[in-house]
Amino acid sequence: MKIALTGNPNSGKTTLFNALTGKTAQVGNWAGVTVDKTESEVKKSFSNGISITAIDLPGAYSISPFTSEESITRDYIVNENPDVIINIVDTTNLSRSLFFTTQLLELGIPVVVALNKSDLNEKKHIKIDTDKLSKILSCPVVTTISTSSSDNGLEKLIKVCTLEQNNPVLKGVIAGQSSIKTDKERFDFVKQIIASVEKRKFKSNQKNKQDSMDRIIAHKWLGIPIFALVMWLVFSISQTYIGPLVSGVLVGWIESLQSWVTVSLENMNAAPILVALLADGIVGGVGAVVGFLPLIMVMFFLLALLEDCGYMARVTVVMDRFFKKVGLSGKSIIPMIVGTACAIPGVMATRTIKNERERRTTAMLAPFMPCGAKLPVIALFAGAFFNDSTWVGTLMYFVGIVIIILGASIIYKITGHKAERSFFIMELPEYRFPSIKRATVSMLMRGKAFVVKAGTIILLCNAVIQIMQSFDWQFNVVAQGAQDTSILASIASPFAVLLIPLGFGAWQLAAAAITGFIAKENVVGTLAVVYSITNFINTDELALVAGNEASIAATMGLTSVAALSYLMFNLFTPPCFAAIGAMNAEMESKKWLYSGIALQFGTGYVVAFLVYQIGTLITTGSVGAGFIYGLIAVSVMIGSVCVLMIKARKKEKVKG
Amino acid sequence: MKTTLVSPKNLSEATLGKEYTISSLCTKDDELKNFLFTLGCYEGEKITVVSVLSGSFVVSIMDARYSMDKELVSAIKIAC
Repeated sequence: MKIALTGNPNSGKTTLFNALTGKTAQVGNWAGVTVDKTESEVKKSFSNGISITAIDLPGAYSISPFTSEESITRDYIVNENPDVIINIVDTTNLSRSLFFTTQLLELGIPVVVALNKSDLNEKKHIKIDTDKLSKILSCPVVTTISTSSSDNGLEKLIKVCTLEQNNPVLKGVIAGQSSIKTDKERFDFVKQIIASVEKRKFKSNQKNKQDSMDRIIAHKWLGIPIFALVMWLVFSISQTYIGPLVSGVLVGWIESLQSWVTVSLENMNAAPILVALLADGIVGGVGAVVGFLPLIMVMFFLLALLEDCGYMARVTVVMDRFFKKVGLSGKSIIPMIVGTACAIPGVMATRTIKNERERRTTAMLAPFMPCGAKLPVIALFAGAFFNDSTWVGTLMYFVGIVIIILGASIIYKITGHKAERSFFIMELPEYRFPSIKRATVSMLMRGKAFVVKAGTIILLCNAVIQIMQSFDWQFNVVAQGAQDTSILASIASPFAVLLIPLGFGAWQLAAAAITGFIAKENVVGTLAVVYSITNFINTDELALVAGNEASIAATMGLTSVAALSYLMFNLFTPPCFAAIGAMNAEMESKKWLYSGIALQFGTGYVVAFLVYQIGTLITTGSVGAGFIYGLIAVSVMIGSVCVLMIKARKKEKVKG
Repeated sequence: MKTTLVSPKNLSEATLGKEYTISSLCTKDDELKNFLFTLGCYEGEKITVVSVLSGSFVVSIMDARYSMDKELVSAIKIAC
């Protein structure tokens, strides 16, 4: 038996889906989190042993599709013939939701209405006569609270669905009603229903506490400082307080594992090269990355809370103004906020943008947001070079946003001003107390993904790096002190030369940056391997990287300015292979894809160059190494972008 | 005669918190018009601007709150 979950955006379909199936599909307190359909088996405890598949569909306001997600929903219901449709209705918003409900009722498929978020009705002093509603719609109505773990109405919902399965339904009309011809009649019908089943104590267009809160949080001038403060707090809590506390324990385990591996291999008289590969390359390299796991989990826990309480939706309102100026709209902000977790879902979220140019531009720029994989790199550098300062992480977010806005305006100028005006409308979700449970689930999911990645791709890369650095081209073991003859050194050195103007010309750093293109966590892992730093996190002091920061900084031989430049280079060059794959899928144009990658490389290079050279000029009074060569390279890059912009403007003029 | 004619106002000029009736949607974009319709934003319906934040308008239609930009709000003509 197949049950399709449908309803308006942000009515809680995915939350209900997760509750029914035990899955952990991504949820969020705003419209448009689900962009594709997901299928899963309903838990046996609900289904009484019958095999039931639930299908979670993207939100829709109506059966006639206006957005690509809406058409997924329409196509599924019309073509796949589910046995029952559960129409999830936000109880606090009956007047709008029932429009879609009445359309579903005419499809000839049994419909069960789930009056979700019914816990909010009491708070808002809304009373709904469910029996009467059920009678008018002539379909079962079940009240549900999908966010609650007990007494949530889900068992009843599934039971009703199984009963309803074989109930014949008329196609084209709602049973017991005269047929509805126009959409206006449909709304009139809905209004009649509302008048007879719903009682509200307060009119919903009156200003309430939530609106007063909006006025401060999304204030014209206060909005951005508040956002900065919030992000700073997120970093400060995860990086300075809770993160290191847990990391300490974890790092202890990793260290004992590493020494255990070393000792037991040596006892078995294993070749030193094998010991090095396993203990330093794999355990050490992967361990260095995994050491940052608690930090990332705490951070995602906090970000999930922020999203769940409705704050992130307000951030889109604050940023809309700036995005407007560069040819994007508030719609582009959602992929970017999603991208703070991982660039791949971020790029995929661009699907909700209808305008093609806007969608491609957003997919090109979303990876500039620091994602979860970039956090260990940020934390490492903040710790080793900047005394664990919270401002480093916060700064990276805002530099990311500035780059996105600059990038958007460049793309806007190159692709030409099209006369189309884009409108922005977004439903404002209600503020609510964030759910600790959902934040925990989101945190564990991210944590799991991180560990899986560390155990597969990162492990593999570290093993390869360790081998490449242990042997030379004749497959002789590289002697102590002659590391420059290794395979790794000879491959990375030519690239290192290109990086001299950015302040980091060492082949080790180049190698780490290159492996970073595969997956960003690799930067930390590779640095651990090439510099044989067993652990970045000091366990004695409760601080990330504190204590041995001086030694790490000394080993890498970087000034603070060069370190900042290296950090930015890693953050703002292409994120990882997987994200590029996602960009390819969403852009549907090789030209856009290659331009996107070129833009990302160019941006990383230019930003790092500016940071290093200007920073060095300020701190030492003279420019850094390779200034002239770097200046030439950067000028060529900026120059070619300018040429493209001028060409576009000329074209525009010719067109008139 | 001229004085009795009230020029059609658009929603961006609305008084905050006051309920208006939508008199027309001034856009050639039919898709947008249809989309707004599904939200309950169409001729004859009630509409209220709750507040203006960072240049965007918080609009109450039926029982939901939306954030709309100025272009969109200007396309919604209203009567008292």
